[in-house]
Amino acid sequence: MEAADLGSERGGQQVIHTLLLLTLVAVQDTAAGKMVYTKWCAGCHGDNGAGDGQGARHMVPPPRDFTGAIYQIRSTPSGQLPTDADLLRSIDEGLGGTAMPGWKSRLSERQRRDVLAYIKTFSTFFADTTQRPQPIAFSKEPGGDGGADALKVGRQFYDSIGCRKCHGDQGRGDGPSAPTLKDDAGHPMFAANLHENWRFNGGGTVEDIYRRLRTGLDGTPMPSFSDLLEQKFLTDEQLWRVAEYVRSLSPKEPPVVRDVIHAPLTKRVPHAPDDSAWTAVDTYWFPLVGQIIRKERWFAPAVSGVWVKAVHTADSIAIRVAWDDRSQSPDTAWLAHLGRVFSTLSDDSTREQPVPWPDQLAVQFPVSSPTGMERPYFLMGSPSAPVYQWRWSSTARATAIAGLARGVDRFDPIQGAGGGIATQSVYDHGEWRVVFTRALASPDTANQLPLRTGRAIPVAFFAWDGSNGEHGTRMAVSTWYFLALDEPVPARVFISPVLAMVLTLGLGMLVIWRAQQKTSYRRQQ
Amino acid sequence: MRAYLKHPFWQAVGLFVAAFLVVEFVIPALPGSAVVPKSVVLQYMATVLVGILIWVSDDEARWTTFKEPLHDVLIQPRLKVVRTVLLAVVTLMVGCLTYSQVKASVAAPPNLRSIHPAPPSQITFRGKTITLVGLENPLRKQGDIAAHIAEGHRIYYQNCVPCHGDHLDGQGHFASGFNPLPANFQDNGTIAQLTESFVFWRIAKGGPGLPREGTPWNSAMPAWEEFLTEDEIWSVVLFLYDQTGWKPRTWEVSAEGSK
Repeated sequence: MEAADLGSERGGQQVIHTLLLLTLVAVQDTAAGKMVYTKWCAGCHGDNGAGDGQGARHMVPPPRDFTGAIYQIRSTPSGQLPTDADLLRSIDEGLGGTAMPGWKSRLSERQRRDVLAYIKTFSTFFADTTQRPQPIAFSKEPGGDGGADALKVGRQFYDSIGCRKCHGDQGRGDGPSAPTLKDDAGHPMFAANLHENWRFNGGGTVEDIYRRLRTGLDGTPMPSFSDLLEQKFLTDEQLWRVAEYVRSLSPKEPPVVRDVIHAPLTKRVPHAPDDSAWTAVDTYWFPLVGQIIRKERWFAPAVSGVWVKAVHTADSIAIRVAWDDRSQSPDTAWLAHLGRVFSTLSDDSTREQPVPWPDQLAVQFPVSSPTGMERPYFLMGSPSAPVYQWRWSSTARATAIAGLARGVDRFDPIQGAGGGIATQSVYDHGEWRVVFTRALASPDTANQLPLRTGRAIPVAFFAWDGSNGEHGTRMAVSTWYFLALDEPVPARVFISPVLAMVLTLGLGMLVIWRAQQKTSYRRQQ
Repeated sequence: MRAYLKHPFWQAVGLFVAAFLVVEFVIPALPGSAVVPKSVVLQYMATVLVGILIWVSDDEARWTTFKEPLHDVLIQPRLKVVRTVLLAVVTLMVGCLTYSQVKASVAAPPNLRSIHPAPPSQITFRGKTITLVGLENPLRKQGDIAAHIAEGHRIYYQNCVPCHGDHLDGQGHFASGFNPLPANFQDNGTIAQLTESFVFWRIAKGGPGLPREGTPWNSAMPAWEEFLTEDEIWSVVLFLYDQTGWKPRTWEVSAEGSK
């Protein structure tokens, strides 16, 4: 009796000891984690993990609110907590297309694990350790053709499981439901533009996409499609094909910025955006970011970049600018979305009533070709040193206006026929394609840059998505790049290589001939 | 195989290839190292070639054996194919090289930019004249430093993060759109080398306030005097040094100055 009691008491003590030790270890982790968190994370996620840090209201999407324990990027079924490995992945690698960077390079593994332990203390959901989140046993990507047939299957299910409702027919996030999307907290949500896989929150590989299809993005309108597998609406292999199809919409590699747009010499100028002549012309990508330099600043630009092609003839130039835009503005369907954007952001400019603004684009050059290194200020010049711009708006699609910008808030159109710029534009499933054409020579060389061949002409781009509240100084901007009108290769360029080759060949043969002469001479001796 | 290993010609070829592999692949793989630029590779390989030639010609017998394979290629009837192919390849290479040298291609003009241009001796901040020479951060001797740093933290996260980033490494989510890239405060070449007055000047006047050699037309740094007060800028300066752990450079106390 006594012995048994003693034994159970000892056992109880042991349990208590173990528990104490475990709590101690946990406390240690979270204390160290708190220090890391306060230094590096609280600025956005807030001291109490509510996603309300000081920088929070300058970003869309806003930082994660840890108190709800709702996480988008998981390996667990929809509605369940993420595993530690899931959270660690987001900490290590960051989330593409958002302000969340990866922390692998800044924090040690120990620090990252500590901060992970601390982040979990913000929600009581993690306190119950009896339920460990179980990752889904994901299948491996099936082999098979992986070619056109697989993509066809993927496309078929892309339509039938409803992807296009939000992501749109061509995947640019412009589906009919796109304007209505918001997360659980009422923040504005964009359906991902499936043509930019380098901006996917959880990674852009086929495997990443498949996993997001299986788990859904909790807290957002993106559902899990695992239940459709259980209902045998489609097979696991067919779901992989959807992921492969989605991946195929983006380029193989993320675009690399090349500084100089080369405009080859052609026989005629293609005025239409979909003229077949454009397919043979090289495309250049330029990233655009928010205008956060002059009041009113804009922290949530919707246009992530422009794809540019250019050609020229002996007397004219055509520049084709294409960019992804979820909305053909002005469109009142997006007013509710716009209201959500304004209430999420708190900066200089959000006290305005939402209005259906148009989409706009500006192409910028210096007023005259720079002789030295000096150029006008990249952000639309200054009162004393203006820039020459072509401005296009979706409300007057067939005309672009040339003019001089003297800073972000002053644009003076050049009088008479829009300054000689012709445009044609197409809005096609979430993409604007606009072609600007102009004569190379300019009647007014003081204000309108004559475009000369064989030199690097500075050029910059600006874009406004009206349905995202962009107008005036609220825009996406680029820095200066260059445009070069290539000249045909002159015949004299071929003279020196041919001369060099003849000389080399002659010398080589002479050396061989001499060596052979010498040997036969020696042999004769 | 053995015969090849012992032959000075093939030893020289082996050495040359090994040296190339080291320069091209092994050096970049070393920790804290970077890819060797093409022009430097060329210099290294020229030095290696000279070294190898000195070594093979150092000994008369070795020199004679070294020349044998070369000589054979020139005269041996059985090596006629090798001879012809070599001649053709060298000729073509010379042609291509010359073409790539003479063909005109428009490149972006070189961006000659002074990263830390000399600051002016004084600036006008919202109408008030501030002398930069000898200027210290006034907040270091005034009130609660922790409170100033907390204020700097707020200002940084509300204004600076999109470009200079959470890491203070100049890789914020807007950084890729700009050229020059935003300053990396973690790097030992930026705030670690500067006085707080210099940092104050750069924040207050931004890109538009750069002298010509700083290419003010390209910098995306706003002139923060439009957005922030003097104390707010000094507190964000405190935050930059506190968060990165760097110490600002201090003014040298001159001999006749008070110590």
